[in-house]
Amino acid sequence: MADLNVAVIVKLEPDFSEGNVSYNTDGTLNRAETKSILGPHSAVASSAAFYAKVLYGARVAVTTMGPPIADTALQQAQLLSDADELHLYSDRMFAGADTLATAEVLKTGISKVDGKTDIAFSGHRASDGETGQTGPQTAWKLGFTFLGNVIDYYVDMQSRTVRAKRLISLQGFYDVIEEVEAPLPVFIAIDPSYRASFNTVSQRLTFEKYQKEARDRAQNYKQYLKVFNGQQLGVDPKLVGLPGSPTIVYKVEKIPKAKASRKAQVVEGSSREQLAKVAAKMYEVLGGIVIK
Amino acid sequence: MKYQHLYVVIEHEDGKPLPVSLEMLGEARRLMDGYNKRYSADEKVVAVVLGNDVHRLCEDLIFYGADAVIYADSPELLHTRNLIDTKVISQIATNKELAIKFSGAPGFVKPRYMFFSADNVGRQLSSTVLAELESGLASDINKLVIEDLEIKHQHKTRGEPMIYERTLEMYRPDFSGFLWTTILCLDNRNPEIEREYHPQACSIIPGVFAPIERDSARRGTIVDYAPKFDGRDLRVKIIGRKIVKSAVDFDSKKAVVSFGRGIKDSPEENIKMVAALAKQLEGEVGVSLPISKKPFVVSEGMSSTYMIPDRVIGTSGRKVAPLLYVAAGISGAMQHIAGMKEAGFVVAINPDEDSPIKDECDIFIRGRMEDVIPLLLEELRKQKPAIEVKK
Repeated sequence: MADLNVAVIVKLEPDFSEGNVSYNTDGTLNRAETKSILGPHSAVASSAAFYAKVLYGARVAVTTMGPPIADTALQQAQLLSDADELHLYSDRMFAGADTLATAEVLKTGISKVDGKTDIAFSGHRASDGETGQTGPQTAWKLGFTFLGNVIDYYVDMQSRTVRAKRLISLQGFYDVIEEVEAPLPVFIAIDPSYRASFNTVSQRLTFEKYQKEARDRAQNYKQYLKVFNGQQLGVDPKLVGLPGSPTIVYKVEKIPKAKASRKAQVVEGSSREQLAKVAAKMYEVLGGIVIK
Repeated sequence: MKYQHLYVVIEHEDGKPLPVSLEMLGEARRLMDGYNKRYSADEKVVAVVLGNDVHRLCEDLIFYGADAVIYADSPELLHTRNLIDTKVISQIATNKELAIKFSGAPGFVKPRYMFFSADNVGRQLSSTVLAELESGLASDINKLVIEDLEIKHQHKTRGEPMIYERTLEMYRPDFSGFLWTTILCLDNRNPEIEREYHPQACSIIPGVFAPIERDSARRGTIVDYAPKFDGRDLRVKIIGRKIVKSAVDFDSKKAVVSFGRGIKDSPEENIKMVAALAKQLEGEVGVSLPISKKPFVVSEGMSSTYMIPDRVIGTSGRKVAPLLYVAAGISGAMQHIAGMKEAGFVVAINPDEDSPIKDECDIFIRGRMEDVIPLLLEELRKQKPAIEVKK
């Protein structure tokens, strides 16, 4: 058993990169035509776990809840984290879950399958659902201290505490970088701006060693993969999936076009003459009608 | 009744409310005025405040629409910490003795509705509080309606039509900005899985709802709550707190030039042009939300300088109000419009005249940005010697 056990929660999400994403003519996402990948925030969380591996020799388990195809997200996360284990929680009974019912599955899995977890990582939020609720709700159910918007962290292995920097933006005021200290176990939702940095030669060598290992492992990721259904996890069927979800999606509609708030003058983009007038207007509204 | 009132969790910095707190109170006031009239009820808008020395703020919250304020005052609550705040808010939300102080109606168990802010703090706090209260939460809401709804749901009602009274319809725009999803938090009435889910809770996007006008003649009840916590609840220590200014500065600039997915045909070159245009106008560069997800492959420098959340304009980013706003290759999803509608003068560059941005701009330049911006830049440079921008 390693001195530090890390779990990473990831999600398979639509790939929003150009060429892979497909939009309907009305501007909405065409899910059928859009590929799925490891979500970008999940990728950042995986790299934060990799940091723990390099610095503290952590054992890393990557976890996701989803359909069988979600194992590709685990594979991509393994490449980024050199995970020792991949856990897929997959069962029809989990389908249709809202964040509370998803958190219930993740909590049960992490506490039963992963055993003693010291740090659980999640991304900031999924790029499709964008609620950012599943992480903190899983943390609360696990009884772990939740630290959100973490941009940097280190672990004091002696005192078993985490020090983390958090970036918080206070609307109408300013941004704050807060430094906090908390005893393990903690749940860290990693900020999108997080970048693992390896400063010493020995860290960089370790990094390279594990990176190579990660590539090998990810090629044979199925060897590391364990799939669990609801019964194997021992979840309460009333607390997961649709029965365990307090919320439902009642309807989905196109957002009605707002009443025009301005009356646009249409200018032909190929007409120099008209663009000259636009340029003059731009300087005018900027308050610079000072002719030399 | 077991479930009563609308609780609004207030965020503040050193006793000064964040704008979203007053916006939530404004919307809460409007909703509950309508609710009380329609159902001949007398349920309250209750502000919940945690902090150190916050009594003065409490009075102000009454002036901004709260009927009652429950506050917990302690040096331990000076700065927000998820763990302890979740505990204290959950204690307040389930305390009948507190509710009886501002409402004579007996039977209170939990709030009927609950609002949080959809910002860094409130998004996480709402999640943990609702996990503790074991009820439903919708995030990033920008429209709310209270209605009696007939629901027929496989699980909630076992497929039978049933009326859910006084249901909060929570509208959330999806990531594309073109779809509205309505979320409901409903009790399970299916006998096999019967369970009550209250409060019906949501986090609200900052900058969407209007606060009501401050009225110092308004009266309400201020209730002091002595929070209970032990050493374990205080295990997160704040060691340092540093105020930082973003490197991206919209507020002191008179012009903002933003770009969106319209850069797609030659992303690298187009971003360079947008940056040149911003420089010419002495403005800052903004982006639409999809750009911060880095949908295009560009050089690392371009990506880390421009395709970042810090530059996002809209409900998921900053609100700006420059004298001049230029939207290049931006279709004008609702979330983006919310971030720039206060601008003095808006110029859009877009090949598609059906884009929603056309209704939000003063000049619509029809054309692709790669064709338009070089010509426009040329004209701006030509005219620059004769015209000087006042600082």
